Amino acid sequence: MSDLDRAIAQLRACRPIPEAQVRELCHKARELLIEEGNVVTVKAPVTICGDIHGQFHDLMELFRVGGDVPDTNYLFMGDFVDRGFYSLESFLLLLCLKVRYPDRMTLIRGNHESRQITTVYGFYDECLRKYGSANVWRYCCEVFDYLALGAIVLGASTALEPSKQNVPASAASTQDDVDSDIEIEVLSHDGSIIQKFPRGKARGLIGQNNSAAKRSSSPAAKTGPPGTGASGWSRGSTGSSSGAVLCVHGGLSPLIDGVDKIRLLDRKQEVPHEGAMCDLLWSDPDEIDGWGLSPRGAGFLFGADIVKVFNHANDLSMIARAHQLVMEGFKEMFDNSIVTVWSAPNYCYRCGNVAAILELGEDGMGESAHARSNGDVNRSDGGIMKENERVLLAGPARRYRVFQAAPQDSRGMPAKKPVADYFL
Amino acid sequence: MSFNGPIEESFPTPADIDRSTVSHLQKGYKISARKLPISKSGTIDEMEKKLGIPVPEMIFGGNMVSIEHVTTGWRLEFNAYDALDRVDKTDRNMLKVAYSQEWSSSRFDGVPFSHDPANVLSREKTHEGIKEIVKPFDWSYTTDYKGTITGKPFELQKDNENPIPIELLKRPDPILFFEEVVLYESELDDNGISLFSCKLRVMPDRMLLLCRLFMRLDGVLIRIRDTRIYVDFNTGKVIRDYTEREDAFDKVKQALLSSGRLPNDLTIALRDPNQISHLVPEVSHTLESLTLP
Repeated sequence: MSDLDRAIAQLRACRPIPEAQVRELCHKARELLIEEGNVVTVKAPVTICGDIHGQFHDLMELFRVGGDVPDTNYLFMGDFVDRGFYSLESFLLLLCLKVRYPDRMTLIRGNHESRQITTVYGFYDECLRKYGSANVWRYCCEVFDYLALGAIVLGASTALEPSKQNVPASAASTQDDVDSDIEIEVLSHDGSIIQKFPRGKARGLIGQNNSAAKRSSSPAAKTGPPGTGASGWSRGSTGSSSGAVLCVHGGLSPLIDGVDKIRLLDRKQEVPHEGAMCDLLWSDPDEIDGWGLSPRGAGFLFGADIVKVFNHANDLSMIARAHQLVMEGFKEMFDNSIVTVWSAPNYCYRCGNVAAILELGEDGMGESAHARSNGDVNRSDGGIMKENERVLLAGPARRYRVFQAAPQDSRGMPAKKPVADYFL
Repeated sequence: MSFNGPIEESFPTPADIDRSTVSHLQKGYKISARKLPISKSGTIDEMEKKLGIPVPEMIFGGNMVSIEHVTTGWRLEFNAYDALDRVDKTDRNMLKVAYSQEWSSSRFDGVPFSHDPANVLSREKTHEGIKEIVKPFDWSYTTDYKGTITGKPFELQKDNENPIPIELLKRPDPILFFEEVVLYESELDDNGISLFSCKLRVMPDRMLLLCRLFMRLDGVLIRIRDTRIYVDFNTGKVIRDYTEREDAFDKVKQALLSSGRLPNDLTIALRDPNQISHLVPEVSHTLESLTLP
């Protein structure tokens, strides 16, 4: 057993590894991450995860539901640390897995992977408490600076494959009958089906704002099943490749009209308070037209038109992002052109929400299907294209696994009961 | 903690609500508390439509605490919806986050903020139009909510003569019923916290309910707004004490340091209103009372 495997085993038991080992791990991780571009290319199949926030036991639950590393490829969209009690163990385990299985683990940066934010929201205090000095926090922050800003998932299939994991006997019969026309499948933690949506009929059904779906129903109608001519990218048959999926922690930036612009940023720094890098980690989609300013006086909000133009110009079928708590674990918006994935169940140990991960299957078409140019200038319409001229690429088939918080007894700490106190 | 329910299922059902409510009957008063998971998307959409503002991301729409006088039906309740309805829905009381100046000046004052070719290229054409603030409102979720009275319309009257008898509350009488219920919480987009929560304790002859808004905007401001409800079960006297405390973030931080706090403990202290409320000056105070028959 190598030192790394020993560290992984120790962290899986939720026990911190010695400071010297953290230092070595962070050094190795930096060497690995420095070779990655700002936008990492990831090939399907891959399981996309949202915020973790130091909820170590729920991260273990996530691996139990989604499959262990390296059997399942994972893409984590940031916010590994802060708020939960085990930021250190959670982040170091993910980092160990990254170093051990670099091609099967993708970590991108969230707005909490920053010196300033971790000082306020818990990770700094946790390191200080567990090691007696801020050294480990410093090593981790140096790694944060090297994390990629986004990822592009290529070769995701438009058809769902049968689910591999956790198929109980009762659910197996439904799984045998694979319906190639299913665009979205929602599974519970034990693999049983909660919901299924056939292609083209998913709009306005789950977790989305219905008014928005109604308002722009015409482009939705154009995104027909593969082979209807509605999609320029569709290969017209079962199992064809969907458009690429861009993964980023927060969202888009008015400074970024193409994926290639992200590639040009200098990311190896603390998350700045302004500029494109800041926007990618902080911005939120909202039911507005175009761009808007957050009432907080910092931060952008972007509407459906922005997402659709961006996706079209960049051959994307979808954007996956995290950053915002959603009670159902995931929320698709803007005619399924963007999804928020949230992977911290019972957030802050008191919200009672469920979490989700998003599985994208592989199209089985090999390398040739992946040739594309992201941000091809000729396809960019500069945002002037009319709504009805827009053609959206076929979305990948999406399997959401919804799961709850790990059972209380697995946490090794008593349930938090309110203690009667003589407050005044 | 209960499951938030599959997506299509309506939650909470009346049975869930029943299961999540605990009550205690004491000398003719029924004191109740309800704790449910955060509201689901459907409930949130409805609430936002009715309120006209986005709700905090951690919204416990089904939670409440209440005090009911059984014989008259007079009832005082604290819930999230009514609290949020008293948040300023205009741009009159909008705060700005600490780095707002830095954020916006770099974008709008014409000074190039980056030598990055990607930024400079697209900046001119993509940036100019974005000046409109989306849905302005007091996003710090500061409220002056003091509870909702239903049932028999006995109103609390201004009464500066009868403060809450603190000495009686300091006595170690047995606590027969204790609950702590969060109504809403926002992380203010990682710029601090706005937490609105209630706790109550019932002793044999009296009770105290404290409903507190704790709002910390990092680097800018700290607000504590406390509503205390005191009930004397023997006399039927109900006292409502409402206090607003507020000070600049840096002043509170300085006060903590002056009181002997170590710099490393500051962030922890600044998360806990109990540790700082005595350091934040009072800016407003009202006392009301009524006597139930």
